[in-house]
Amino acid sequence: MSTGEMSFSRPFEIGRKAEISIRLSEFEIPPIQDVLVVGKKAPIGPEAVKRMVDALSPEQYVVIRLEHDVFEAAVLKKSLLKFIPQDKLLPIILKECSAIATEDSVIKAQLNIVVQVNKVVDL
Amino acid sequence: MTTVENIMNRRIITASPFDSVRKAAEMMNEFKVGCLPVIESGQLVGIITSRDIRCSHPNRLVIDAMSKDLITVTPSCSIWDAAEIVERYKIERLVVAEDGKLLGIVTKLELYHELGKHFDTLTGLNKAEYLYYITGKLIRNNIALSIVFIDLDGFGEVDKKYGHIIGDEVLYRVANIIKAHVDEKLDYPCRYAGDEFAVVTVRPASTVKEYALKIVNAIASYNWDGGMKITASAGVVNCQPAIKSDCDIREFVNIASLASTKAKKKGVPVFTVFCNKE
Repeated sequence: MSTGEMSFSRPFEIGRKAEISIRLSEFEIPPIQDVLVVGKKAPIGPEAVKRMVDALSPEQYVVIRLEHDVFEAAVLKKSLLKFIPQDKLLPIILKECSAIATEDSVIKAQLNIVVQVNKVVDL
Repeated sequence: MTTVENIMNRRIITASPFDSVRKAAEMMNEFKVGCLPVIESGQLVGIITSRDIRCSHPNRLVIDAMSKDLITVTPSCSIWDAAEIVERYKIERLVVAEDGKLLGIVTKLELYHELGKHFDTLTGLNKAEYLYYITGKLIRNNIALSIVFIDLDGFGEVDKKYGHIIGDEVLYRVANIIKAHVDEKLDYPCRYAGDEFAVVTVRPASTVKEYALKIVNAIASYNWDGGMKITASAGVVNCQPAIKSDCDIREFVNIASLASTKAKKKGVPVFTVFCNKE
């Protein structure tokens, strides 16, 4: 062996492997469920949200622009507003979202609204 | 009169409302501009500035980041009105548009560069074009005005006898005397040309002759160096005209100029002309 040449006392094999795992699930249509609240510095703005919901679920959502410290817009499922008016529902949602969100956030919310009716009738 | 049309930049880089903020930022870097007007279907719908970009997520659409409350001017806006708008709204760039169509952009720097050309550095007064601008503006706003046209008597002799350096010093001091008689809410002075000065004023017409006389007397009674005798004559024109064009405004200024010549000929300090072009 001449000077300067490298030698290995034990040859080794080079092997490359890839492991693939796949999770399949159904894409929800619409993907935003009942409510979406958009922060002022969120990666998506009100106009983009509007276009998204109009394309994915035409006429099912209403986009409300907000004058709020943290949030810029809220998207509400129109059918919810048949149960409870917007002016009652929105403050509740914003109050809860404010507790957990920042200006950068987009919060998705699922709502269960149960309307209880008690009526008394004369017998 | 110099308008924003004369100085605006017509080659404008624009953005679409549905470009991303990231793309808008890249365009601003590439073309070295501080803002991009946003155009949709040929109409100007907003403007995205470097500040909007700093405050927005790069994934956002331009339409969700741009400023929608646009401050625009028409091409015929004077550079003085444009400067007033720039100062009032504290903006760096002014969009020039007409009927919703984008025509150009003027930066604050370009605007002040142009304004500097209409400013007399010797006296610290605006030049003649300002006189036309302010006269036109007051007339368009239906405000009665007068022009006091002040012409130094025999000023050519001062230059010949004492030299142009002393002559310039006299002009500087006359300007200061005029400035001392200016109420910023009522009077708009300028150096019209050479040894001629003018003050557009909205003082009551009945008081303007007396006002002109005060200035002329102040010039004559000033303690001029080396026993120089400096006097001036003033022409006053009071007017509530139905002036419709720049041509009429120039004629109006000319009447004031001729009135100062009449004052000289008649040997009176102030000669007044009433002008009503109804």
